[in-house]
Amino acid sequence: MAEEFNIDGMLDMFLFESGQLLEKLEGIILEKQDAECFDDADINEIFRIMHTIKGSSGILMYDNIMRTSHKLEDVFYYLRESQPDNVPHLELVENVLKVSDFINGEMDKIKNGGDADGDEGELIKVLDEFLNRIKGEIKDQGIRLPKENKHEEPSQFYIVPVASEGSHFYRITIHYRNDTQMSNIRAYSATYALKEVAEDLLYTPDDIISNEESSDVILAEGFHMLLQTKSLKDEVLGLIDCSEAEHIDFEEISSEEFGSGLVTMGRIESPVAIDLGEEDAGVREEKPHPVPGDYVVKTKETGKGKTLAKHQSKQQSMISVNVSKMDALMDLIGEIVIAEAVVLQNPDLNVPGLDLTNFQKASAQLAKVTTELQEVIMSMRMMPLTNTFQKMRRIVFDVSRKLGKDIELEVIGEDTEVDKNIIEHISDPLMHLVRNSVDHGIEENADDRIALGKPAKGKIILEAKNEGGKVYVSVKDDGKGLSKEKLYDKALANGLIENKSMSEFTDKEIYRFITLPGFSTKEEVTEYSGRGVGMDVVVKNIQSIGGRLDIDSEEGYGSEMTLAIPLTLAIINGIVVQVGNSSFVLETASIKEFVRIGEDSIIQEPGGEEYIVLRGECYPFIRLGQRYEFENCQTKVEDGVVVVLEHEGSQICVLIDSLMQEQEIVVKPIPSYVKKVRGISGCTQLGDGSIALILDIASLIEEEERR
Amino acid sequence: MAEEIKEEQTEEVDSPKREFMTFQTGREYFGINISYVNEIIQMQPITALPEVKDYIKGLINLRGKIIPVIDVRTRFKMKPIEYTDRTCIIVINVKSTVIGLIVEKIAEVNTILDEDIVPPPTLGHKEHEHNKYVYGLARTDGAVKLLLDPEKLIMEEDMELLEEIQEEE
Repeated sequence: MAEEFNIDGMLDMFLFESGQLLEKLEGIILEKQDAECFDDADINEIFRIMHTIKGSSGILMYDNIMRTSHKLEDVFYYLRESQPDNVPHLELVENVLKVSDFINGEMDKIKNGGDADGDEGELIKVLDEFLNRIKGEIKDQGIRLPKENKHEEPSQFYIVPVASEGSHFYRITIHYRNDTQMSNIRAYSATYALKEVAEDLLYTPDDIISNEESSDVILAEGFHMLLQTKSLKDEVLGLIDCSEAEHIDFEEISSEEFGSGLVTMGRIESPVAIDLGEEDAGVREEKPHPVPGDYVVKTKETGKGKTLAKHQSKQQSMISVNVSKMDALMDLIGEIVIAEAVVLQNPDLNVPGLDLTNFQKASAQLAKVTTELQEVIMSMRMMPLTNTFQKMRRIVFDVSRKLGKDIELEVIGEDTEVDKNIIEHISDPLMHLVRNSVDHGIEENADDRIALGKPAKGKIILEAKNEGGKVYVSVKDDGKGLSKEKLYDKALANGLIENKSMSEFTDKEIYRFITLPGFSTKEEVTEYSGRGVGMDVVVKNIQSIGGRLDIDSEEGYGSEMTLAIPLTLAIINGIVVQVGNSSFVLETASIKEFVRIGEDSIIQEPGGEEYIVLRGECYPFIRLGQRYEFENCQTKVEDGVVVVLEHEGSQICVLIDSLMQEQEIVVKPIPSYVKKVRGISGCTQLGDGSIALILDIASLIEEEERR
Repeated sequence: MAEEIKEEQTEEVDSPKREFMTFQTGREYFGINISYVNEIIQMQPITALPEVKDYIKGLINLRGKIIPVIDVRTRFKMKPIEYTDRTCIIVINVKSTVIGLIVEKIAEVNTILDEDIVPPPTLGHKEHEHNKYVYGLARTDGAVKLLLDPEKLIMEEDMELLEEIQEEE
């Protein structure tokens, strides 16, 4: 890696930008996976993406990324210029995906502090072979080849002449090894390194950045520099990155020679101070260029002249913001909401006879603005599921091809918006579900499908919709569906259920067997699924964000897995209750009912556990105050309130002292110093500034069930 | 904030004297390096947390930030005392963990010379006993002050947590 550049900021930019570009690339590819070929706009776009990645990875000296992207760029350059019509489209798609995977893998290594050390040789060979093949085919057909795409850019170089006493003048010639990639970039990094000590610096070829062909000149003739500096030879040599250099000629010359060198080199038009930003831009915008020798120049006429499509304006109206800043803003707005309540309900206002007309008007305005503010920040955190769904497209594509199944994926409602945090959490579970559908759901044999009167091509529908404060994401396939008998037998055989007969379970309960740990109906383990871990992990992940998984199926005709997830985790609707001196928040959605009952409805087991019988149903019962050993809390059931809570189909009754109010709750985490408290998922600040704890109903129930 | 503290600390390495916020709890005086201290606030209503260590008194709301508070006396396994008007909360920031320390009363800020600080006697104490948070004794104005190492306060926590996790496993 080139130490002489300050790459910290550049590296971040590189990773971010390249990541986005690759995402975009996959998007294009997968959209067109089933098309006959890419259209012009796509080819241009892919070409440009590869070109940008090549340029920036070149600067950062990630050679393997650079070489692979360069190769793919060659392929697409050829496609663009020659317009061949006999390209094996699927193979091309696969090759592009391979490249994208490779670069992604390397970038992951870089992100984790490693070095990009993956071996690109194999991939390059594949691409070379591919390129030669399509080229060969075309030559056979006698279609004219594109001309080399030459271009001139104004030379823009940078000399800062500072005549001073005691300067040394050197002539330096760097000869790079013949196989050095992008020697122009290396040469540039050398000049950049020397800039620090240089009083004056001239070099030839002088268009190293703007002209990629200069790299050939450099390889052939060496890279010549004239340097005026106060530093001594060793110092200067130390600055130059010699890793790829074969040898470096170093010669001290007189100032006269230096002066005449200026003339002989004669390429300087107007001295300009070095400006990295400008150079940087120069690299990124450099025009595409074929590697000489890749094909023969035949005529002057190019292929069809095309203007590159402009970047979509959609992107330009976006800025990327650090998530931590968003979170800080979110916190602040939460505080404003609380501060507003403190001001508007201030006890000082309760002076009899005080005229508050204007105050009321102003406070109504304030309330309106803060509500809007809250809505805006919430909407900022919302992101469409597009990217997540795109990943699923990729998975269906990969897995179905590997398994030799013909599957079509239909995506509905991919622009449904969900809180960013939640998107992060559902990506993996969703991936599992989609894989399962492809692997287990759709029949291996198309004949089986036809026999059942289904089309030969399998179909998976990925759908997202927003309904009643929740988001539903479903994966539906028209495959063989779940067999209740098989599920039951398997669960029984694995000892996951006690010896209950099948009729004791409802259909849904039987389907839910597949979410039990250690359950897999697939006989053999495939690369993608069948290890029996998976569905239980899916369920766990979904539950951790307060969602649930519904399974429905019809044997022979497919199954449907639906994730029901909350829109956001940051703000919940809650009911504040009092227990002893503490306030707790219960999530409104999980409250079934409030009841007042007498001591006689309670059944006590010998072990001390209590149950409540309510309308013939028996629920576990927890006295919250006693459970947490609070003082001053209600011990008599008659005087308190019993809340029936429900989560994932299980219910629990909890005794609290009294109900306070219902309100929107801004969820804050418990400070990490305190560690995890069982049964508490977070805390919040109430209108009067006091703190309430948010009850984690899922873990309460889980704990109760475990006993 | 963290950076500021760091700077201050490096300065102190050069100078042989340090400033300590001293507070009284029971009959003892304690000192804590002032660079850890964010602020001192009056006693606040504390929201109790269930199922935590007895010295973690609960959470307070410090201008919108929710921070845990611990009782120094219970932390050092001394008998708890009633909170009074003089009871204060010293908000400290140790490696960006912000916590409040409930102390009986604030004394003053003392400048203590390094040479006046002596390590605590080890006699009669086995390792891992309660004085592990005290890294030195300082004699000023005839009184002895126990100098606390706030990083230890936090660190010991982590150790205990680790132990707990291991036990669970």
